[in-house]
Amino acid sequence: MQIPMILTAVIGLLMIIEFFFPMPASVTSLNVTLRSFVTIISATALILGTIVLTIFHTKKVGTRGSEWYYSIVYVVAFVVTAGLGVLNVRDTTFLWIYNNMTSPIGAALYSLTAFYITSAAYRVLRARNWNAAVLLVCALVVLLMLIPIGAILFPPVVPLGEWIRSFPSGAGFRGMIIGTSLGIMGLGVRVFMGRQKEHLGIREERRDSE
Amino acid sequence: MQRAYSGKLPKLRRLAAVNQIDEILGRCVEMGRPAYYLMDTVTMDNPSVLAPTVAAFQILAYTARSAARLGARFFVPVTQGLAYTIASEIVDEAYKAENKQDELKLDEAVMYLPDGADRMYIINHMWSDGMAGAFFLGSWYHKAVIFTENAARVGAMMLGGTDTTHNIPFLVAICDYSIIGEELYALGAYVSEDPTVSSSLAGQDVGKFIAVILIVLGSVLITLGMSIKGLLSM
Repeated sequence: MQIPMILTAVIGLLMIIEFFFPMPASVTSLNVTLRSFVTIISATALILGTIVLTIFHTKKVGTRGSEWYYSIVYVVAFVVTAGLGVLNVRDTTFLWIYNNMTSPIGAALYSLTAFYITSAAYRVLRARNWNAAVLLVCALVVLLMLIPIGAILFPPVVPLGEWIRSFPSGAGFRGMIIGTSLGIMGLGVRVFMGRQKEHLGIREERRDSE
Repeated sequence: MQRAYSGKLPKLRRLAAVNQIDEILGRCVEMGRPAYYLMDTVTMDNPSVLAPTVAAFQILAYTARSAARLGARFFVPVTQGLAYTIASEIVDEAYKAENKQDELKLDEAVMYLPDGADRMYIINHMWSDGMAGAFFLGSWYHKAVIFTENAARVGAMMLGGTDTTHNIPFLVAICDYSIIGEELYALGAYVSEDPTVSSSLAGQDVGKFIAVILIVLGSVLITLGMSIKGLLSM
């Protein structure tokens, strides 16, 4: 149970001290090797995962398991795309699949955000209390500042919006960033010292009552 | 932490989120509906995402154990292979700790959903399951709005927290309860089984005081037209 924590602490410290202190070439090259381990292990896991997934879906089609027709989509997509990619990654058909199918699907999913932001804004921007009213006014000023017609209709929104973004908003965010950075440092100390290990799936019973 | 080892434990304010975790899970039990634990981006080899992911895992350990104890149905979709393995291990350990292994179907409780496919699957199941509670913790990006808005429409009680500053407003505005920025890291330590770990939060506060003093000092020096570099070189 101690091995994962020792590995975390030693490798983590090796990576960190490289940023702060000039290290001998042996340590630097060790770090480069360790980082290349990450790439190799990730690539191996990807290949293994792809093989397992393909076997799973092929078996499902063969045995006509539940919703087996979706598995046909996977098998066909995998065979065509991987086949074309292996034959020639610069092949125009392979690139066509990426540019005209994969990419637009990703963009379409991302664009869902716009619709949900609109309905979320409607939910949030209601002056139910004093705090919500401040939020509403600030949001309106910044929105007016950002749209071209806003400055024409009401010119003072430009300096006012800039002030909101630069001072109250900027100060708040900087405070959060400082707090978050300290939180990350605290987390790092706890993890490197092996005091906090829940993230490794290791459970430790309570040692003492609070 | 060193002081805590010697038996001097600092007095810590109880984070409201600890009670809210149990409140949300209790609601799920009463309504007989599941609780979702969503972490969004969990890329384990990206340093900027790793820290909030580790914090989310630590809170997952506590939440899963509470869910096991209370008997709440629990669903943890994960979009990255390595993170999926870790999340599975955490949930499995949590149910073992409460002697509730028989109630856990690990394949259904923790599910790997490739990034991209996760949005439609999760939204669809939010509506079909009629989930009663949801946790949005970790490194959140644009999916924060998509998932929280759907959860709000389903009527779920939500706890949200992230350290990605541009998405904090969405989680704060839409979720019923929220933890802001560093509280994400503090909560993981607070719910730890080891009091010396939670004691490290007091150390973080000392760091905050030092940061405030340095900021004020820097502001005064700059206002007076003096630079620290210049003072040091004198």
